[in-house]
Amino acid sequence: MFDAVLLFREALYGALVIGLACSVIGVYVVLRRIVFVGAALAELSSAGIALALWLEGQSMMLGVATHPIALALILTIAGALFFGAGGGRGRIPPDATVGVTYAVAGAAGILLISKAAVGEAHDIFLAGNILGITRADTLVLLAVAIPVLIVHTVFYKEFLFVSFDRETARTLGYNINVWNLLLYFTLGVVIAFAMQSAGVMLVFNFLVLPAVTGLLVSRSMSGVFLWSVASALVASLIGFTLSVRYDLPTSPAIIAVSGALVLVAFVARLGQRR
Amino acid sequence: MAELVSFDGATLGYGRRVVLSDLSFSIAEGDFLGMVGPNGAGKTTILRAILGTLKPLHGTVTHTPNIRFGYVPQRDQVDYNFPLTVVDVVLMGRYDRIGLGRRPGARDRDLACKALEHVGILDLAEQSLNLLSGGQKQRTLIARALVGEPNVLVLDEPTSGMDLVSTTQILGLVRELHERNNLTVLMVSHALNEVANYVERIALVMNGGFRIGPVDEVMTQPVLSAMYGIPVEVDSFNGHRIVVARRDGIADADV
Repeated sequence: MFDAVLLFREALYGALVIGLACSVIGVYVVLRRIVFVGAALAELSSAGIALALWLEGQSMMLGVATHPIALALILTIAGALFFGAGGGRGRIPPDATVGVTYAVAGAAGILLISKAAVGEAHDIFLAGNILGITRADTLVLLAVAIPVLIVHTVFYKEFLFVSFDRETARTLGYNINVWNLLLYFTLGVVIAFAMQSAGVMLVFNFLVLPAVTGLLVSRSMSGVFLWSVASALVASLIGFTLSVRYDLPTSPAIIAVSGALVLVAFVARLGQRR
Repeated sequence: MAELVSFDGATLGYGRRVVLSDLSFSIAEGDFLGMVGPNGAGKTTILRAILGTLKPLHGTVTHTPNIRFGYVPQRDQVDYNFPLTVVDVVLMGRYDRIGLGRRPGARDRDLACKALEHVGILDLAEQSLNLLSGGQKQRTLIARALVGEPNVLVLDEPTSGMDLVSTTQILGLVRELHERNNLTVLMVSHALNEVANYVERIALVMNGGFRIGPVDEVMTQPVLSAMYGIPVEVDSFNGHRIVVARRDGIADADV
């Protein structure tokens, strides 16, 4: 079994890097109650990839600017900055704006891919193609994840303060808009790159489930981060191994293990209370 | 006493919407001011202008150099889902002093513990914030405001949703902080009867009007009737002022 896993080790390394980066940012995603912003950004990213493939089919490629990663980044970061700035505050509630983005971006992605040269269908967007990750992909993911994690480590207390109590942070001179935009920017960048191979479902899973496990298990912020990362890595490792051993689709296998970890954490929490 | 914050013909609002116009008053060092008015009257707007997070549409709001506010937000403004201990929250009051990208040190922790001792909950330092009672949460937020060594302590609806005992304890604590340390205090509330018996000056914000002065001057039947727009009576019971609204001869004790 381990020989088979080793055969796909590059893909496993990629999944671990995606899990690591998403599970750190996911703590803020869950605590700030913006899980559907994560989903909408993932859909925007998939729409960017689909747009690039559609342009390729129309022979309208314009070099780097229309590369799938470039278009996914542009759309995702634009969405992240839009939501980070308040998501068009006004008559429409912010969560409705997120819903509109999610639906329109999702539909646009499917429509574009259906008319693209590479019509491999939208399943790849949903389930991803994690086994297709190469060493080069993993290195790119690392090149994105490491700076993002450094930013989150260095500015931990600033992100925490503006997330926990923005009004007080503002009175102490913090520029709330700048910190929000930086937080959402890192979220957008990670999603845009992770989406290239992990798909909407797995990226959304890594943004939400590990953080929920962390919150169930730990009562301190550092503990939540540690448990979130640990559960994302364990879920990747076990899910990946099971998918290879039993010929299961990899992303759903990882998600199933993530779900099982949430369940174990939930039961453990219940046990603690009694 | 030196003036810490001065409003000079200030018109406050958001965009084109004017909330209050032509405000002129000041908060002096050592002041103990209560700002009272119903929800939506503009208390928060004035508060933001005092804190410097809202610029006036017209006129000026001047702050003395190096002024530092210790802000205690409304309790529901804070997200209790965050897994933070009491001391974690108090340390936030020093974040701007610690500097960007740096972590709290031993001195910051000492100061946080002293602030908790000051408000009487040092024994709860390592307790999870979400396990505290309403009064304990409020004391935590006051300790966080104090740990930054402010010139002015600003409390927004500090007793909102609290029972009688907690309300009395919190208001007593605030008065003690003012008297013992000569700390300038601004307390915002919608409950006139609570605030009037603790502060030294009152600012009334209601029906687009604004009136500020010593408690004895503002807490009178003509002033309050004019501000509220209904006939009221001001009575005294055991040295406590009680404002009573009269409606068709039936007294309503909670204005």
